[in-house]
Amino acid sequence: MILRTPPPKKLRTDAGGSPPPTGAASSGKQLIIYEDSPLPAPIQTTFHDHSDQYLCTYQCRQMVKADVLDALSKAEKQAQEYQTKLQTLNQNFNEADAERKHLRDKFLYSEQELAAAKGREKMLQEQLLTEINTSQERYTKELQSCHELEVKLQNETNLRQKAESSVATAEEKAKLLEEKLSQLSGSVDREKTRVNNDIAHLGKEAKLSVSRIGADLERMQCRAESAEAETDLLRSQLEHLKQKFDECLHEKTKVDKKLSSFTSQAASSSDNSVLIKNLQEELKRYEAEVREARKLKSQQLDAELLKVKLLEEKSRRERAESELSKLPELQISMDTLEDELSSWKSLLNNIPGVSCPDDIMVKFLALQKEVLDSTMKIGEVSTRFNQLQAALDAAQLGRQNAETEAALAKEKSEALKSDMKRTEVMLSLVTEEKEQLKAVVSELRKSNSEGPVSGVTDVTLVQGIESSLANKENYLKELEKELSQLKDVNNRQRAEIEHLNDKLASEARRMKSLERDSDRLCSEISLLESRLGHGDFAAANTRVLRMVNTLGVENEAKQTIEALQAELQKTRERLQAVEELKSQSGDAGKLVDSHITGKIAQLKEQIVMDEHQRPNGIPVTRFTLQSIYAQSDDEKLEFEYESGNTSILDNQYTSQGEIAKQIEIFIRKFNSIPAFTANLTMESFNRRTLY
Amino acid sequence: MLILTLLLLLLLLLITGYAANSILYNRAVYPEESFVKVKKYGLPMLLIEDESVKSFLSNLTSQIAEWLEAGKLQRVVLVIMSKATGEVLERWNFRIETDNEVVEKGVSREKSDKEIMREIQAIMRQVASSITYLPCLDEACVFDVLAYTDADVAVPFTWIESDPKLIANPQMVKLHAFDTKIHKVDTLVSYKNDEWDEEE
Repeated sequence: MILRTPPPKKLRTDAGGSPPPTGAASSGKQLIIYEDSPLPAPIQTTFHDHSDQYLCTYQCRQMVKADVLDALSKAEKQAQEYQTKLQTLNQNFNEADAERKHLRDKFLYSEQELAAAKGREKMLQEQLLTEINTSQERYTKELQSCHELEVKLQNETNLRQKAESSVATAEEKAKLLEEKLSQLSGSVDREKTRVNNDIAHLGKEAKLSVSRIGADLERMQCRAESAEAETDLLRSQLEHLKQKFDECLHEKTKVDKKLSSFTSQAASSSDNSVLIKNLQEELKRYEAEVREARKLKSQQLDAELLKVKLLEEKSRRERAESELSKLPELQISMDTLEDELSSWKSLLNNIPGVSCPDDIMVKFLALQKEVLDSTMKIGEVSTRFNQLQAALDAAQLGRQNAETEAALAKEKSEALKSDMKRTEVMLSLVTEEKEQLKAVVSELRKSNSEGPVSGVTDVTLVQGIESSLANKENYLKELEKELSQLKDVNNRQRAEIEHLNDKLASEARRMKSLERDSDRLCSEISLLESRLGHGDFAAANTRVLRMVNTLGVENEAKQTIEALQAELQKTRERLQAVEELKSQSGDAGKLVDSHITGKIAQLKEQIVMDEHQRPNGIPVTRFTLQSIYAQSDDEKLEFEYESGNTSILDNQYTSQGEIAKQIEIFIRKFNSIPAFTANLTMESFNRRTLY
Repeated sequence: MLILTLLLLLLLLLITGYAANSILYNRAVYPEESFVKVKKYGLPMLLIEDESVKSFLSNLTSQIAEWLEAGKLQRVVLVIMSKATGEVLERWNFRIETDNEVVEKGVSREKSDKEIMREIQAIMRQVASSITYLPCLDEACVFDVLAYTDADVAVPFTWIESDPKLIANPQMVKLHAFDTKIHKVDTLVSYKNDEWDEEE
C-alpha cells in the first residue's frame, strides 16, 4: 500500500493558523476580529488589510467563532488523521524494515544457496565430465572391440569364402565323381544285364543242345538196344539156320552114305537117282537159302550201318546248319562284344589308374570311398560353415549391441551436454540476477543511509527483489526436480535398454539356433524322403525280390515252345523221308519205322519233360519223392506244381490199394500233402523196422 | 484276427488288384481293349482280361498276403520299363508300415469301412489324375512288381533277388497316404525327367 504523503505543511508565523474563511472574506478583504478573550493572534493581514479594516458585529463574531471552531475541529481531525497516518507509516516503515531485513537474510540465504548450487553444479560438471570420460573410454573400447570384431569378421568371411570355394570344388568333384559313378554303374548294369541275357541265352542253348545230345544219346542207345535185339534175333535165326544146316549136312551125309551104299550095291533104280537128285536139289536149295540168309544178314548189317552213318551224317549236317545259322548272330554278337570291349578299353584308358578290368572294381571301391570321404568332408565343412556362420552372427550381434550402446552413450553424452548447457545458461541467469540483486542491495544500503524518505523506493526494490528471488527459487527447484527426474528417467531407460538388449541378443541367438535346427531337419527330411522315394534301402535289413515266372519269361517260354514245335516239324519231315526210304528198303524199313516212331514219341516226351511246360505256356514243375525207408525203387511219389497248386500224379505205386486209399483220404478229402507224406513215411518206417 | 484278415484283404485288393490295374490302364501299358469296366468302392474300376497278367497278379497277391500277415513286407513297387531298352521309366512306390503290436500280439484296431473306402477312392482318383502331370509313355512298355521284404525272409522258389530298378535323377510326386489302423500305406510315384522339361 502506497501511503499518500501528506502535502508539505505550509510555514506558519504564529502558533495558530486557520484557513481564511471562505464566506466572509470572499471579497478579498479580511476581517480583523477584536475579541474580548485572548484569542490566537489575529490573522495577519496583508497591507491591503490596513486599508480595509471593518468593525464586526456579535453575529459576525459568532460566525467567525463557529467557523474557527469548525476549522479547529477539522484541523484537529486532520492532525489526528495525520498522526494515525504517521503511526501507520511508522508501522509500515518498521514492517518494511523488518521485511528488508528478512529479505536481506533471504538474499544472503539465496547467495548461500547459489554458492551451494554452484558447488553442486561443479560437482555435476565433474560427474558429467567423469561420466563423459568413462563413456568415451567405453566408446573407445567398444570401437576397439568393434574393430577387432570387424577384423575377426573379415577373417571369418575370408575363411568362409575359402570354405565355400573348397565346398564348391568338393561338390563339383563329388558331382563329377557321382556322374562318373552313375555312368559307370549304368554301363556296368547294362553290361551285366546284357551279359546275363547272353549267358541265359547261351545257357538255354546249351540246355537245348544238351537235351538234343541227350535225346540223340538215348536215340543211339535205343538204336543200340534195338540193334542188339536184332542181332540176338539174327543170332537165334543164325543158330536156327545153323542147326538146319547141320541137320541138312547130317541128312546129306546120310544121303551120301545111302548113295554110297546104293552105288556099292550097283542098283540101277531110277528112283534112287531121282531121290538123290531131289536130295541134292534140296541140299542146293538149302545152301542157296543159307547163302541168301547170309547175304541178307550181311545186307541188313550193311543197311544198318549205312542208316547209322546216314543218321550221323544228317545229325552232323543239321548241327552244322544250325551252327551255320547261328554263325551270323554269333558274328554280330562278337562284333558287338568287340565294340563293347574296345569301348570298355577306351573307357579304361580314360579312367586314370585303371589298366585292366579287374582294376575297375578296385577303382569303383576307391571312387566310392572318395565319394564317401568327400561327403563326410562336405558334412564337416558344412558344420564348420554353420559354426562360423553362428560365430559371425554372434559377432554381428555383439557389434550391433556395441553400436547401440555407443549410440546410447552418445545420446546420453549429448543429453548431458545439453543439460550442462542448460545449467550453464541457468548459472549465467542466476549470476545476472545475483548482480542485479547486488545492485539492488547496494541501492538499498544507499537508500538506508539516506533515511526514511527513500523508504518507499526501498519497499518497491525489496518487493522486486523478493519476487525475483522467489521466481529464482522456484526456477531452481524446478530445475532440480527436472534434473532428478531426468536422472531417474535416464537410469531407468538405461536399465531397460540394457535388459532389452540382453533379451534381444538371447532371443536372436535362440532364433538363429532354431533356424539352423529347422534347416538341418528340413534338409534331413527332404534327403530321407528323396531316398525313400528313390527306392534306397539298407541291404542289412531289406531284400528286393521279384517273381521269376514273369510275363517276359512266359513269353520266352512261348518262344522256346515255338522253337520246339519247329523241331518237331523237322523230325516229322525226317520221318517222311525215312518212310520214303522205307518204301525203298522193304522189311528192314519196318524196324526203322518202329524206331522212328518210338523216337518221335520219346522226343515228344522229352520236349514236355525238358521244358516242364504245358502247351499253353504255363510253367509246370515236377517233383519226385522217394522215402529213405522205401523198399523198392518203384515206391516213388510224383507231384506237379503249377501256379501255386500242387497235385499228385498217378503212377504204379500210387495206384496200389492202400496208397490209393490214403491219397483219397489225405489229399482229396483233407487236401494235405504233408499229412499224406508223413503218414506214408511212418508206415514205411514201421514196415522196415517193426515188421 | 477276422478284422485283421479283412483289412489285409482290402489292402491287397487295393494295391495288387485295383491300383495295379488302374496304373496299367492309365499309363497305357496294355491297350484299352484289354480292360473291362467294373464298379467298386463307388468308382468305375478297370480290370485287365489277359489271363497271363491275371495269373501273374494272382500269384503275386497270394505271396504278398503271406508276407503281410507275417509283417515282413516293407514295400511293393510297380515298375514300368521300356520294352526295347529295359530302361525304368516309372516307379509306383507303395511303402507299407505295419503295426507290429497287431501282428505279434493280435491287438484289434477298428476303423469304419466307410473311412477306408473313402481313402481308397482318394488314392484311385489320384492315380487317375496322375496322367495330367506324368510324361507320356510313347514307346511300348512292360511292367514288373518288386517286393521289399525283411532280410530274414525265406525266398520262395518262384521269386529271386533283384536290383531295385532305380531311376537316375527322378522327379517324385507324393500321393495320399492310406491307413487301415494296422497298415499305413504311403504312395509315391517317381518318374524319369522328360527331355522337354529338362530343356525348358
